[in-house]
Amino acid sequence: MITVIKIAWRNIWRNRKRSIIIIMAIVFGLIGGVFSASIRLGAENQRFRESVENQISHIQIHHDQFIANPEARYRIPDGFKLTDELRQHPDIKIVSPRTVFDGMIATANLNAGVRIKGIDPEIESKTTYLEDLIVEGTYFTEEGRLPSVIVGRNLAEDLRSGVGSRIVLTFQDVEGEIVSASFRIEGLYVVTSKRFEERNVFVNASDLNGLITDDEAVTEIAIVLNDPDKYRIVANELREKYTGLEIRHWADIDPSLFYALEFLERNLVFLVGIIILGVSFGLLNTILMSVLERVRELGVLMAVGMKKAMVFAMVVLETTMLSLIGGGLGLTLSFGLVEYLNRRGVNLEGFGGEGLEEYGFASIVYPELEPAFYFNLGILVIAFAIIASVYPAWKAIRLVPAEAVRQE
Amino acid sequence: MKTVIKTTDLSKVYNGGAAEVHALKNVSLEFKQGEFTAIVGPSGSGKTTFLNVIGGLDKPTDGHIYIDGVDLATMKESKLFDFRLRHIGFVFQAYNLIPVLTAIENVSFIMLLQKKSKEEMERRAKEMLEQVGLAEKLYVRPSQLSGGQQQRVAVARALASKPDFVLADEPTANLDTQSAFNLLDIMARLNKEENVTMIFSTHDQRVIDRARRVIKLVDGAVDNDEQFDR
Repeated sequence: MITVIKIAWRNIWRNRKRSIIIIMAIVFGLIGGVFSASIRLGAENQRFRESVENQISHIQIHHDQFIANPEARYRIPDGFKLTDELRQHPDIKIVSPRTVFDGMIATANLNAGVRIKGIDPEIESKTTYLEDLIVEGTYFTEEGRLPSVIVGRNLAEDLRSGVGSRIVLTFQDVEGEIVSASFRIEGLYVVTSKRFEERNVFVNASDLNGLITDDEAVTEIAIVLNDPDKYRIVANELREKYTGLEIRHWADIDPSLFYALEFLERNLVFLVGIIILGVSFGLLNTILMSVLERVRELGVLMAVGMKKAMVFAMVVLETTMLSLIGGGLGLTLSFGLVEYLNRRGVNLEGFGGEGLEEYGFASIVYPELEPAFYFNLGILVIAFAIIASVYPAWKAIRLVPAEAVRQE
Repeated sequence: MKTVIKTTDLSKVYNGGAAEVHALKNVSLEFKQGEFTAIVGPSGSGKTTFLNVIGGLDKPTDGHIYIDGVDLATMKESKLFDFRLRHIGFVFQAYNLIPVLTAIENVSFIMLLQKKSKEEMERRAKEMLEQVGLAEKLYVRPSQLSGGQQQRVAVARALASKPDFVLADEPTANLDTQSAFNLLDIMARLNKEENVTMIFSTHDQRVIDRARRVIKLVDGAVDNDEQFDR
């Protein structure tokens, strides 16, 4: 067998140029495939982090009427008691009780429909890292005459206002009565999704609760888990325990994100696999050519007594070696490229990246891939190479030695 | 003298298109240990077919080939591979060395397939390459050898594994006169020293003049079978 390996190895370097070309095809195929896969995964993961970690959290709890009618009257009964109970759960890291409902924001001349989120600033900064998203002004530190509101920068621009501007929020209290109150913009936050910025304003829950005349009001509880992968298990557990409440995990809330991630997780290797499949046909062609050029030599090998199985193995080995070199080199370079770009980021502006923000994708993407991906891809490259070698190898052993040795 | 090969009523018919071609017609021959035989005849007379059939590379349509008491005509293909490996040495017209192996690796190749020990292989390969006058070219690849030198490596390869007999299909056809004589000298010497049976197909008068037995085939049948005392 060692001889077969030796002969196969030397055979692939007989036509150096051809071997290098096919190796390069594998290398560039892999780099191209891995690069596009890493961009996709990076973008989706960024979207996940933004969407789930900065906005949705892992699990949300509401009154069962709240989703259809986001009003103050649909509060979670004994919301603070429930909050304390949830904090005892071993899988739960953070529980953020909020007073949330829809309302209007208005300046002297302009107004817009928004979701008003009453939060505990300290807890919220650990839940959705809102404090870290502030780009202008401060985060609930001012003790002014008017209560503070944090708005998205995009919304502030739409309302032609800024930090320090006075705005009026209008909403219904627990009885359904219209309430209006003045607030001062203390800070502006920025997230990737412009729509989120335009739709969400944050105020102190205690300010809001006073205005809706229920100091104990909680309409939304956001939960962050210790292990993000347990979201289904914990959500199901809570559903069983707290019937009558609407308990949803992030995949319920943003199914498109869930399916996008799920699809990528399962199919990313196959998306790159299609490129590898294409390259494999090139590999097949290369090996077939090399077999057809060596008809006489293969005839001699079999004439002098080299078994067909060994001839077959030799051709398969030649193909496998080419794919190992190409695959090894391609995956190493791809890994390096992805790691480098992961630190540096890829700016998609100018490639339609601005438009992506509308859909919650950042225009600067940090490509990333799991180590298992490279491993699976490596296996795929070798598997395809072996499959591609079967036909040429079969061709080789079908030669009739008596005829092959006389071939010019 | 021991009989190495015996054929009885050997026939080979090719069905090429409309007409049947009778490449061999009832060839019955015996070859003894140590013979140096030339098979001669015009093109298409069946020389190569005869060598292929007794070399186990092709099956006869009819008749038998007994080697060591075993009939090649009825042997399964998978067994034939092993039989060729253990009993028959081949020298081809176009040298047919393995281009990616050095001279010594080429000579060792068959012994390697026979699973001989490394020491034995190396000793024997060196000995054979010395015998054919290529002691200086052990680690050279075929592309760096002349045609004559390549054919000498091919002879060394065929003989290194100590086969029962060596079949050489037009071994001098591609060689100039000097190289052809050199090769024939070497083959004649090895034929005696190693007492190995050698059968050539040839049109080359130089080979015919050296042969101790000349069998002439015409239209696939034995036309003449002469012994010479040389």
